[in-house]
Amino acid sequence: MKLKEYEAKDILQKAGIPIPRGVLVKKGSDFLVSPDIKEAAIKAQVEVAGRGKAGGILMADHASIRDTTEKLFQTTIKGLPVEEILIEEKLQIQHEYYLSITIDRSQKAPVILFTTEGGVDIEEVAQKNPAAIRKATVYPLLSKVPGYTLRYLLNGAPKEIGAIIQKLYTVFMSQDALLAEINPLVMTPDGLFAADAKLILDDNALARHGIQENRDLSERERKAAAHGFSFVELNGNIGVIGNGAGLTMATVDLINRMGGRPANFLDVGGGADRVRVAHAVRLLGSMPDVTVIIVNLLGGITRCDEVAAGIIEAGVSQQIIVRLAGTNEAEGKALLSSKGYRMLDTMEEAVTAAVEAAS
Amino acid sequence: MIYADKNTGVIVCGATGNQGSFHIDRMNQYARSIGGRGVVAGVTPGKGGQEVHGVPVYNSILEAAEAQNATAAVLFVPGSSAGDSIMEAADAGLDLVVTITEHIPVHDVMQAVTYAQMRDCTVIGPNCPGLFSPGEISMGIMPAHLATRGPVGVISRSGTLTYEVVHELTRAGIGQSSIIGIGGDPIIGQTFADALERFAEDPLTKAVVILGELGGNLEEEGARSAELPVVAFIAGTTAPAEKRMGHAGAIVTGGEGDANAKIARLRDLGVPVADRLSEIPAMIRGGNLNVNH
Repeated sequence: MKLKEYEAKDILQKAGIPIPRGVLVKKGSDFLVSPDIKEAAIKAQVEVAGRGKAGGILMADHASIRDTTEKLFQTTIKGLPVEEILIEEKLQIQHEYYLSITIDRSQKAPVILFTTEGGVDIEEVAQKNPAAIRKATVYPLLSKVPGYTLRYLLNGAPKEIGAIIQKLYTVFMSQDALLAEINPLVMTPDGLFAADAKLILDDNALARHGIQENRDLSERERKAAAHGFSFVELNGNIGVIGNGAGLTMATVDLINRMGGRPANFLDVGGGADRVRVAHAVRLLGSMPDVTVIIVNLLGGITRCDEVAAGIIEAGVSQQIIVRLAGTNEAEGKALLSSKGYRMLDTMEEAVTAAVEAAS
Repeated sequence: MIYADKNTGVIVCGATGNQGSFHIDRMNQYARSIGGRGVVAGVTPGKGGQEVHGVPVYNSILEAAEAQNATAAVLFVPGSSAGDSIMEAADAGLDLVVTITEHIPVHDVMQAVTYAQMRDCTVIGPNCPGLFSPGEISMGIMPAHLATRGPVGVISRSGTLTYEVVHELTRAGIGQSSIIGIGGDPIIGQTFADALERFAEDPLTKAVVILGELGGNLEEEGARSAELPVVAFIAGTTAPAEKRMGHAGAIVTGGEGDANAKIARLRDLGVPVADRLSEIPAMIRGGNLNVNH
């Protein structure tokens, strides 16, 4: 789950990383700005990439802070309404650095990226001047970044940044973060500040950090998660239900390859019973664009008779094409054919039939 | 066959839970049908002394390993404690831990896998269907009836996709030596490269099918070092970027791990990549791999 800028900065500050002086303003509520803030950055708290370019960050001198803030509340940033704004003192920038920590899958370890060319899109730097980016992994059982790793990363940049790296590493490890990023990390006459911050937490560890609800999911996706399946909305007219992420993805791919348009990805998970299957079928049945539903289930621990009962119980109006294989296959098939459902033996036959029916 | 065989004594962690107890029964039905040792002990802290389908339950992995001479474990414990169980197994001196559990925090996996490696303990998974070697051993949740013994190894990031391919191979008369679900998480123990290295030392295996998906670059890494002929399939060629398709590892971020780019890189390495699952048996035969013995 992505944290908002002010939430991320709150965590950084508690870890000892300096952040600019500022105040969080909620839409419709009054606020005070300290009189000694001469100039401020007015920042919409929306989670979109390229927020600055999309008009989500405005600059204002003291006299115009209030008006600028009101103006920003009236806008939408890449379609998202602005509900919260962070007003921060403008920093006296001497230099901008980039610092991030993420997980290197193939090294199975945290990886730290640092460059003296901060403040811009890191992918741009990676393309134009890859040599400027220093990258180092840390052995995951260490509680601190070793000194030689810090020296390698800094490559002559101010030593104080080493302490910031150390603190960000502690945040990354203790928060179960998938990404901890400070861009830019700004050098000012008063020292270093995290001018912007990004934290993405591991969805599987949210409960451990007292977070009950994953804000990143859409309403329908959240409902699906509550029923125990993973669900992604696409925008076609063929509803897809499978079991297992790989098989379901392969079903979506095959529909596309055959010229059809999948409406979604829905993995009912292992061992789905009639209740779960019925929920899944009803969820797709409620999507207005769906004209055909394909159910492609390969039972290991999933029982085909349960699946069949769930499909029948859902009783949706759309045509359903079923491919079932595995435990209690004969019973499941008998049940479905007694109700007139169309059943096919292989995944390719079922997908072909669904694509034809939907076109 | 690789990683384990008929004589491997297996411990199931999370033995008294629904999943654990159900699969102890299934694994042992298979073991009995082929004359293997199967699951010899269960572990659930606080429930030592009980029995699950005739298998004695212990309070710790160390106790279970010593009492029953077991060297491998299958984990069905909850995600929040699975990292802990991997380290416990490594500390108890086990050689192999197959982690079926999904939704384990990535940091837990990262640390547990590193810890296990330090103790020379091999980790398969997490978030995987386990290991199945027809005629030798079942360590996980793969349905036994789909597989048949033969010369083709299968390595996969996904569960049911594996069953689909094994089913296709069996129907085409091509048997399997070992089927390894390496798991769908961003960090996993055994990778394609690791499993391919094991297959290269296995006299039974003549070719390997690798079933990958979008996200990361483990497929390419494996193909680069493979000594045996490899055929691949990659799921997620039409998945939208930045959307997670079930597996935590199946996500494209910042352009990394795109399925089509992955397929192109595999083809550049000379690996045949199937557009459809149903093409795999013919590609195996087309490779003149002498798989009909």
